[in-house]
Order: sequence, then structure tokens, then C-alpha cells
Amino acid sequence: MNIEGYEFPDGLYYDKNHFWARVEGDLVVMGMNDYAQKMAGSIVYVGLPPEGKKLIQGKSFTKIESGKWLGKVFSVISGELVAVNEELEKRAKLINEDCYGKGWMFKIKPDNMNELKNLMTDPAVIQEWLKTEIAEHGEK
Amino acid sequence: MSSMQKLIEIVGEENFTDKIEELVPYSYDASMNVHRPDAAVWPDSTEQIAEIVKFASDHKIPVVPRGAGTSLSGGVIPIKGGIIIDLSRMNRILEMSIENRYARVQAGVVCDDLNRELAKRGFTFPPDPASSTVSTIGGNVATNAGGIKGAKYGTTRDYVLGLQVVLPTGEIMRTGSCTMKCVSGYDLTKLFVGAEGTLGVITEVTLKINPLPRHAMTAVATYARLEDAGKAIFQTMTSGVLPSVMEILDKVTLRSIKENTDIDLPDAEAMILAETDGYTWEEVEAQMEVVLGILKQNNPTEIKTAKDEKDRLNLWKARKSAYATLARASTSFVLDDVTVPISRIPELLVGIQEISKRYGIVVATFGHAGDGNLHPQILYDEYDREQTDRMEKVEEEIFRLAISLKGTLSGEHGIGLSKANYMTLEHDAVEMALMKQIKRTLDPNNIMNPGKRALD
Amino acid sequence: MATQLQLDEKRRKAITQCSRCGFCRAVCPIFDLTKRPITNARGKMILMKEVMEGKLPVTEGVAQALLRCTTCMNCTVNCPSGVDPQEIIKAARKDVVGLGYDNLFKKMGEVVEKYGNIYGEEERYDWGHKKGSAPYILFVGCVGTYREEESVEETIRLLDLLKIDFAMIDEVCCSGVMEDVGYKIKEELARHNVRELQKTSAKTLIATCPYCYRVFKEHPSYRNLGLEVKHITQFLKDLDFGVKTNKKVTYHDPCDLGRHSGIYDEPREIIRKIAPNFVEPKRTRENAMCCGSGGGLRGSFPEDSIEIARNRLGQIIEETRAEVLLTECPSCLHNFRNAKLRRQKIEIYNITEFIAKLLQDQGKKEAA
Repeated sequence: MNIEGYEFPDGLYYDKNHFWARVEGDLVVMGMNDYAQKMAGSIVYVGLPPEGKKLIQGKSFTKIESGKWLGKVFSVISGELVAVNEELEKRAKLINEDCYGKGWMFKIKPDNMNELKNLMTDPAVIQEWLKTEIAEHGEK
Repeated sequence: MSSMQKLIEIVGEENFTDKIEELVPYSYDASMNVHRPDAAVWPDSTEQIAEIVKFASDHKIPVVPRGAGTSLSGGVIPIKGGIIIDLSRMNRILEMSIENRYARVQAGVVCDDLNRELAKRGFTFPPDPASSTVSTIGGNVATNAGGIKGAKYGTTRDYVLGLQVVLPTGEIMRTGSCTMKCVSGYDLTKLFVGAEGTLGVITEVTLKINPLPRHAMTAVATYARLEDAGKAIFQTMTSGVLPSVMEILDKVTLRSIKENTDIDLPDAEAMILAETDGYTWEEVEAQMEVVLGILKQNNPTEIKTAKDEKDRLNLWKARKSAYATLARASTSFVLDDVTVPISRIPELLVGIQEISKRYGIVVATFGHAGDGNLHPQILYDEYDREQTDRMEKVEEEIFRLAISLKGTLSGEHGIGLSKANYMTLEHDAVEMALMKQIKRTLDPNNIMNPGKRALD
Repeated sequence: MATQLQLDEKRRKAITQCSRCGFCRAVCPIFDLTKRPITNARGKMILMKEVMEGKLPVTEGVAQALLRCTTCMNCTVNCPSGVDPQEIIKAARKDVVGLGYDNLFKKMGEVVEKYGNIYGEEERYDWGHKKGSAPYILFVGCVGTYREEESVEETIRLLDLLKIDFAMIDEVCCSGVMEDVGYKIKEELARHNVRELQKTSAKTLIATCPYCYRVFKEHPSYRNLGLEVKHITQFLKDLDFGVKTNKKVTYHDPCDLGRHSGIYDEPREIIRKIAPNFVEPKRTRENAMCCGSGGGLRGSFPEDSIEIARNRLGQIIEETRAEVLLTECPSCLHNFRNAKLRRQKIEIYNITEFIAKLLQDQGKKEAA
């Protein structure tokens, strides 16, 4: 679906830190949403922590950089980091090119799938939230 | 489809440009010639180059193959516009076969980079032109590059066993072999060596490699008379010993290096740098004994041997940067590479000095005297029309002098644009006609680096 | 709109002095990456020669081309014809801005002025260290503060462990970097720094960032500082640290510390005390290859910048097989850390950070 001009595909969960989550078997895949990647500009670096790292929903666990901007990456769910998108190591720009597909960032084995309830799925809710984000941070 | 679209289709958008600011550097080399190309591409395979050349041939668009662009004679200037094919991305060493004594490289491999890898295995590709830190093997082959080791080890031509070339039709051809000897069919390999990119684009080169000499010793001798230095040189070359290096530097050159680097060189009319090399110290020293003996008997003002390895390398660095260091002494310069039979070196040295004096134009002379090849560097100001006229006259007289001494216009830089007007001084009508015919046969549409050497 | 460069006589002469020998191709980090002549010194000298001769007008393309340089000076030290291309490029950048071709650093200048740092961060981290009077002041700069905070924390901890009596000030960006990218230092910010520093009645300013060090030492806006300016390696070189490592350690010379400031020995003296197993990369000291973050390149061409760091890191690993790479520059540190691949096991630190960690490990061992 298209919300305020930005892509927010159906079937994904969205958090308020501008990351998305998708269920893949018993894992959760996460990445950055379309608004955030556009605002960030050309992404040049994503920190890729070692597998096994313990993550907590809503807490930052690594960094992302574009040109002069540095941002934090927040986990969409609590659990264990089991995989990173190694393509991002030499081509972090994939996040700009295809943030929901080839630009996926991390795969997590969740402690509790139910935590996904804390994320947004209703387009109306997402739209309200996105509007306030745009009002506060602007658009590119 | 437009040319631009076609080229982009072949090499990709990032490897094509027609932006003016990127084309400006491609309008120049290390000579005084200038002309804009229309586009430039950075292919990374022979197949891409073949497609580009086929397209260019079909549409009669000139192409100019280019390596590092350090040509001193306008060899890579796109005088008729067209497409620059920059081979710098094709810089992989494909094979180093020590047991078969050859190395096979893509044309964009930098000369020193190859030698760095070979040295790890105790081998070397001896020709080392002054530009070896940046010049590419493809460029070295296209100009039959020489270098300071020429006195003993010859030039690039002596080491090229085989090539892969893209012909002006766009066909890919292999020549030669990877064997030490081959006399099967016409020697097409040597046709392309020294052809300055006018018969095809060299994409791969198979080179013979030598064991790296284990020891070397360098001596320095200064002279109060240019003639004495010249005599010392040709006498050494006929002494029974072949020094690995036999270089001369004149007064102007010496002063420039002394003033602009931290290398302490003496004030003298001329200085000789000589080196002997070999497998054992005894051999190296014995050869140097002979060389020193001859240097001594020609009235030197001073002789000494280099203190240590660092000292030795500094001397070679100074020699290899000589022409660029001299660039500080004037706004502009033209660097030539006239070559004569070795015994005529003293006459050439004195003759150049006389021409310089007569026209009031400074000429610094240095070079590979050991193989008869001198580099007169004519210093002038390109923005001064009158000086430029005098420079051209000086250059012409130097060429005529060299020819009169049974020499040649160019020992290693090539004819390019700079010497094209003088070709008939050296080559008679029969030779010129056959060379032109060969060019026409291989390149009927005259797209391959056209306008060079007065041969198209 | 005028299209002519206003470079002075000396620089114009230097541009014609370029013999176009091309030797700079062998040492230029951007050329090494792109193989495009416009990215290296010769290409730029030729470009400027044509502009000077009126053959080419200044355009947006020309302005952009001038930004593609880290000003590392490797070309300068290797140029047989005696040209200093990076100095001319910086002057040309100013010229071109003066002709109306602003670049992305104009915005950065506004951000620096408004927020006191190059990143537009609203808060400046308070290191929790004493402010006010002390014989030494530690100045850490923007890159350390906002991109490598952990390293700065370790440096502070080291100085504390060594019982150095130092204070910190409410820093704002030294803003010298504006001069390299076509603009001018922010006088207000310089004045703020000078005021704050003079208030402390300290004798010596210790800078961790080699670029801040150069600005404080050389820029006219800091002429009246009244403090001696030292880079932290100069300050620490005579001290003993009481700790060693057996790991194989190597050192990368930051361009701003090495070629630009001539500080090569001090970092090495420190390293030799703590790491007897020290090995130099082949391309080192005056010939060290740049990490890619200087001259504004990390801002103007960040992908190139990190690629260059990746190449340099690969080179260092291949040439030394070291377990630890040390440097003492927040920008080099950041670029290397961004560039390092997961499979590369080399550890990367600033020297001061590394010593602080060694002391911490030693402390743990003794406690156990």
C-alpha cells in the first residue's frame, strides 16, 4: 500500500522506529521502511553484529550511516540475531534500492512471536503516525 | 541507436563518459599535442573492446587505445576525435609461469606492478622505462619501450612472445606463442610491437621473463668535457663487458636534479651512471673493474661507486625523474629520443650542444647513451610564439643531425604526432609506401588511432 | 556569471609546471579506485590549465570534479616537477564557490554555525570530565565526539589513569574544514573556542584529531590562542605506560598527521613501548596510502571514501599480516571501521584507546 506517497507493503509489521518486520517460518526478518530510507539518503554503512547477539524489542543494537547522517537500528522484536544480510557489507545502498526485498537487514529468532502485536499493521494507524513523523522531520 | 547508447549498452553507464570535464584529461598526454575526443570508455574485457571496435568500424568512428597516457610523442592524442578506449581496468596478471619462463598479462597491467609480483618469485621483465610506476604493458608494447636497462637487456620487443589483439575490423586475434622460440607463419606479434596502437588494440601480452640478477653495483663518473664522457661510453660498450646500465646526464640536467631534490650531484659537464649486474659478487666486481678502467682513461674529474643499496636506488630514482624534474626549469618542454650508432654518441652530444647555443634555446641532454639513445629536452615557453618557432627549428636540426649520423628519429618514444612530419627524412619512398599499404590492409576505414606517424 | 579562475600568479605557474608525466597515478587513492583520469592530480591540473587558458569555462561538472580529492598530499610528495596539487585544488574550490558554484558543504557550513558541529547534532556529549582550570586542555573534536565516542572515552580514561591533570571545555567545531571545501572558517566558533580555552589559563592544548591540531596550530583565526598546541601523540611520547602486548601490531599514518604535519616518529615511539612486535606497512610514512576520509570526501563521495578505506585496509593486512591496526585519528578510525569486512579478523584502534584497553585487561588480570 502507498501511504502519503511512501511504500508500505501489505502483510508486514511496522514499528515506530521506522523498521519493518516479516515472519519467515519461525524467524522474523527486519529492515528499514521506505520513508526512512528516503530521508536517510544514500546509505553507505550498516553495522553487522555477530550472530548470537541478544536483542530486545525497541532497543538499538547497531548503527546505520549515510554521508553525514548516523542513525540507530532498533530491534523489532526480542530474541537472538541469527543472520545478517552480508550483501550489505559492500553494498549498503541495497537498502535504498529495495528496502523491503534485497535490502533486508537482519533475521531474528524471536523469544515470543506475540511481541509482534506491539507493531502497527492497520493502514489507518500507520498513516496517522506517518503524518506526524512527516510533520516533525519533513520530507525529501 | 546513438553511439552513446550503443557504448553504454556494451560497457555499462558507469564505464562511459562524454562529459567535457572528463574528456579534457584525455585530450592530453606528456607531449605538447592536444585534441579533444568525443567520448571515453573503460571496458573490462577483450570481448567488450571487440564490440566497441566493430561498432566504430561500421560507423567510421575513430578509436584510440590508451593506457596510462604517458606518451611523449602524442601517440594517444585523439587528433581526429572519436572514442578513447582506456584499458586501465584490464589490469590482471593472468598467468606467471616461472617454469616456462613467461608471464601473461592483460594490457592494462602497470609495468612496476608486474615486476613487483615477479620479483617475489626471483624473476623480472627487464625493460624499465622512466614511467614504469604508471605505464602499462600495453603501452610499453605499443611503443617498444626501452628504459635504463636497455644497454644490456634490450627493449620490450625482445620480450614479447605473443599477443591478443582486437583488429580494426573488431575481430579478436592471437599471435605468437608462449614458447621461447617460434617461427610458425609471419611474425605478426612483432608487427604490432611499436605500432603505436595504429594496427589494433592490444588486450593481452605474453612476455618472456628473466631471472632477477642477484647483485648489482653502480658507479658514478664526472667529466669536464662532454666528448670525453661520450667516448668513455662507447668504449665501454665495446670492451667485452656489457654493463646493465650506461646513462649520461649533462650539466643542465645535473643542476636541475641537484637544485630540486635532496640528491647531492656534482657540478660537471657530464656525468655517467654505470651499473654491472650478475649472479655472483665476483662477476659483478670483475665487470665493474673493466668499466671503471675505461671510465678512468677518458679524463674523469671524479669516480666513485654507490655506497649502499639506498644510495643506488636514490641514483636511479633521480635518473628516472630527470625529465619531469627539468619541467621546473621552464614553462614548457619537448622531449626527444634520437638514437645513433653507439660510436657516434660523442658527435651527437657535441652537435646538440652546438645547435642549442646557436639558437639560444636551452637543451638538457641525458639518456641511455649505452645503446646510442639520447634524450634532448628542449626547454621553452609555449605561450611565446617566437620561442616556440625557435624550439621547432632546434628540434628539426637535431633530427637532421641524428639522421646524418646514420641514426633514427625515435629509439623508444615513438613517432606519434610530434615527429610525423619528419618521417621522410628517415624512410625512403619504397618503405613509406609499404608501411602505408600495411596500415590500409589492416585498417581500411582508418579508424584505429588515425592521423599518426604520417602513415595513413 | 564569470567563468574564469582567479588563482594567483604562483598557483598559475605551478599549474603550467605540471609536466603531465602522470607519476601521480601510482599514489592517488581515488585514481586507484576509479581508474578515471579526472580523479587524479594530473587530470585536475590539466583541467585547470584549460580553464586558465580560457579553453574551458568553469561549470558545475568542473566544480564537482574538484571535490573528488582527499587532499592527502601523496601526489605532492611524489611529484618530480615540484607541484603541490592538493593545495591548488583547495584554492580552486574556493574560487569556484566564489564564481557561484556552491557545493553540498554550504549546507554543512550552515549546520556547523547553528549547532556547533558538522553533523547537526543538537546535543554535545558531556564527557563528565572536569571543566575549568588545568595545565592541559583536551580537545576532541566533532568526529570523535559523534562517530567514535567509545574511542574518545578510552582516551580520556587513559589520561586519567596516567594521572594527567587536564580539563575539557564546551567545544564547538574548530571549523577549519570549511577552508578545504571552498568556504571559510566560522569566525564566531573560532572565537568561542579561543575564549573558552583562554578562560582555563591552561598552557597546553592537546588535540586528539590531527585535523583540529592543524587548524589550531596554523589557522590565523587561532593565532591569538596563547596556548601551546600539541597532538596527543606528541604529548604522550615520553611517558611510560607500564603495559605491553605480544600481538603483531602495525600503524597507519593519517595524512593530516603525517604528510601534512610531519609527525611520523612520535606515534611510533609510543607503539614501540607497548608493542615490541611492530611491523610497518610497505607504503608507510610519507608514502602511506590515504584512508579516503579527508578533503571532505567522506561527505561528498561517501561510497568512494569507504571503498578507499577498504582498499587501504586490505593492503595493510596483506603487507603486514598484523593482528592489530593502530592509528591516531578519529576520521581514519571511523573509515576503517566502516570498511572492515566481517571476515577480516584485524582489530582496529586509536593508539590511546588501545593502551587504555591494555591497562584495563591488566587491571582485570591483577584483580583475578
